[in-house]
Amino acid sequence: MLLGAARMEEKKRAVMGRERDQFPVGMRVLAVDDDPVCLKVLETLLRRCQYHVTTTNQAITALKLLRENRDLFDLVISDVHMPDMDGFKLLELVGLEMDLPVIMLSVNGETKSVMKGITHGACDYLLKPVRIEELRNIWQHVVRRKFSKRERSNLEIYKELKPPSTDSCYGHNQIVGGASDQSGRISKKRKEMHSDEEDDGDENDFQEGDEPSAAKKPRVVWSVELHRKFVAAVNQLGIDKAVPKRILELMNVEKLTRENVASHLQVWHVLVALIKTVHLQLYVSLSQSYTHYEFADYILTFMSNQLMSPDMQKYRLYLKRLSAVASQQASIVAAFGGRDPSFLHMRAFEGIQGYQPFVPSAALSSFNPHGLLTGTSAATFAVQELAPAMAVQTATNSGIITHCASDGNKFQYVGLQENQQANLAQGSTTSLGLPQLQHKWIHQENNDLSTVFSGSALANSLSGALQKVTSTPLPPQELLECTQAKLGIQASMPMPSMNSELVERTVGVSSNLQDSRLSQQGALPINDGFSADKLQLHDPFDGTSGTKFSVTMPVCPSGSLTTTNNTKSGASSCGTVLLAPDTGRHSNYLQFGGVGNSRDELDGTKQDHLHSQGLSIGSFNHDFGACMTERTNASMSSLIPEMKIHPLTSDDKLKQKNIYDFGIPKLHGGFSSSSCNFDGLLSSMIKAEKDDLSFADNDLGGDFFPLGACI
Amino acid sequence: MDYSNLRRQAASMKKSLFDQGYLDEQFCQVEDLQDEASPNFAEEVITLFFKDSARLISNIEQALEKYPKDFNKWDAYMQQLKGSCSSIGASRMKSECMSFREFCGQGNVEGCMKSFQKVKREHGVLRQKLEAYFQLLRQAGPAGAATRPGM
Repeated sequence: MLLGAARMEEKKRAVMGRERDQFPVGMRVLAVDDDPVCLKVLETLLRRCQYHVTTTNQAITALKLLRENRDLFDLVISDVHMPDMDGFKLLELVGLEMDLPVIMLSVNGETKSVMKGITHGACDYLLKPVRIEELRNIWQHVVRRKFSKRERSNLEIYKELKPPSTDSCYGHNQIVGGASDQSGRISKKRKEMHSDEEDDGDENDFQEGDEPSAAKKPRVVWSVELHRKFVAAVNQLGIDKAVPKRILELMNVEKLTRENVASHLQVWHVLVALIKTVHLQLYVSLSQSYTHYEFADYILTFMSNQLMSPDMQKYRLYLKRLSAVASQQASIVAAFGGRDPSFLHMRAFEGIQGYQPFVPSAALSSFNPHGLLTGTSAATFAVQELAPAMAVQTATNSGIITHCASDGNKFQYVGLQENQQANLAQGSTTSLGLPQLQHKWIHQENNDLSTVFSGSALANSLSGALQKVTSTPLPPQELLECTQAKLGIQASMPMPSMNSELVERTVGVSSNLQDSRLSQQGALPINDGFSADKLQLHDPFDGTSGTKFSVTMPVCPSGSLTTTNNTKSGASSCGTVLLAPDTGRHSNYLQFGGVGNSRDELDGTKQDHLHSQGLSIGSFNHDFGACMTERTNASMSSLIPEMKIHPLTSDDKLKQKNIYDFGIPKLHGGFSSSSCNFDGLLSSMIKAEKDDLSFADNDLGGDFFPLGACI
Repeated sequence: MDYSNLRRQAASMKKSLFDQGYLDEQFCQVEDLQDEASPNFAEEVITLFFKDSARLISNIEQALEKYPKDFNKWDAYMQQLKGSCSSIGASRMKSECMSFREFCGQGNVEGCMKSFQKVKREHGVLRQKLEAYFQLLRQAGPAGAATRPGM
């Protein structure tokens, strides 16, 4: 009897084995759905596709089955809404513990849900009723994952330095989404996307072009998959208890060291803080369904592709440099210009589309170095000498936005600095080490934005991600804040070369101060990315959820406005654009205009947030640029810290100008040179600093992986 | 017996169900899944559907009578029901489920109540119609029956 049973088992296994050889025929799927009707139909559909199907109507049973023997299945398909366990939770656990591809199923196709699926690691998200055609392709996820794992393990730990290549591997990377490579086939995808670009073959790694080939160091590549594990571990531990050692244990990845995790964690914290800022500002009005962490994770995942590209090495270099510098408050303020709150609107892709790398434009703002916020920050760019400059700034923003906008899937996320401000103001403890990091990254140079930028490699990436300009109107306050952020700062970076591109890019940006309103093209389309539904401020930054949110910093304090106005040589910093009295009439600016005007009165009023004007995000998007007004007296009480942007000093003007020169290289992954254009800034900074690089890749808090990747 | 006639009748009944919007394309998919291995698949699924949906409807009914009004819960239940409906192609029912959910979203109790009644009604009607349809099919025998000699 026993023998018979054993033989049966053997036979079964043999059959299955044979089936497996004919992959995808015989692919072993575990289907989980509490709805018996759906489950039955699904099972039959899967069998029709010649898969080997096991079903259960309970997530707990599924988990048990998987835990008993992970090798029993190739793929898991699970419904999102289940009574015994949230589908997303199951997804996360399966991804973390078993590293199997998981496809989510739902009746609900809301972007919010889809986004959640992606951020939790789903490799696809299907809507019910599922069609057989969709199921016929799911085997690809299994292959991809295996492939990437293999590649990853080969490349992950030890990476050979490669000379910087010109191809930009980032481009339209589809990081998220069902179809994309959760498993880290980002580079693969990139290849597909950029047919003309040859990847160096390192799928998940980035090249450190600047390092001498002799100095090879083991480097951890934080692929999307690895990062996903990291996040799942952090979530499981709880952000408070997530210490590197425990995370490392949970992740259970060979050759990963505690230091690797620690540095990643550090960046993660920073990112989250950054996200909070942006999040708060922009999404206050949106339904708050995502925690900062979720969003941050999303961003990072999303961005990881971008950072894979060889271009990213520049960022790394830059970051290294920046991290060595002390924070420069003024520059920070200037640098951050402001982010366009509208950016924050992320639009989840419907049905999971690939996300294209976003241009980190306003990233800086979100990543507001501590110093920036607090400093008086001579508005770094506040004063633009020329209208064109301003325009540039705007343009940059516009450009960025446009640029981003044009990318269907660009995900733009504009971070607002206010957040930080708020934090600071409120003494909030976003600490995530952000301030420290910021300081670290703030470059002491004269008001350079560079510091700002550098600091934020994260910011950059974030901004890139953030760039999506949303057309959803944000509550005035937020808008205001965003705008302000935008205005900012960019200016301080003394970017050597500016691309004229930038200027060209500015759509709708006129040299005229007035025109500089960011309106860039009216409402920035955008949001191809996630429609943001709403990033939920999970923990209200300043304790006030939503609207009050500190979003930002009002853009140039009235004082500065006037200054800028006076200095009109150019539109004063974008922020000024907003503030510029003339801007009032631009409808785009809407709010800006209003802002500007109100600004004049406002000085230090909380009212700054002229958002009441109802800034339309579209118009805003851009560049508030410089006017980050920082609250000089961080009044803890005010919900919305006012950021005063100090007009740029004349010294800065020049620099600022430079800043604007950045072109907007490419949307994908590039920094836009304009204030929002990190790429340009970064490029120039990198160029300038190329020789400076002193530290190894891993200087920044351990392995410094590209923001995208590591975050 | 004139099986071909019965089959014709069944086909025309089905067509009318489609035309009147009771069923949609998904129903065809379900029927397509029928094969030699599972010759009565469609009927099995439909039977399962009615059994399960009756349970859901009764849950919703109970929830609707409770206080305080828990829109989230109602919505969650209805979402389940909607999922089932869409799996078999019960188009009208699905629409009613969706409008119920909309009312939930608005916090409109009255709207929910009315909509729920509609859901129940559609459920009843569909059940009747599909029962008749499958009965006809059973009488008509398997598709190959007509070609079998002596039948």
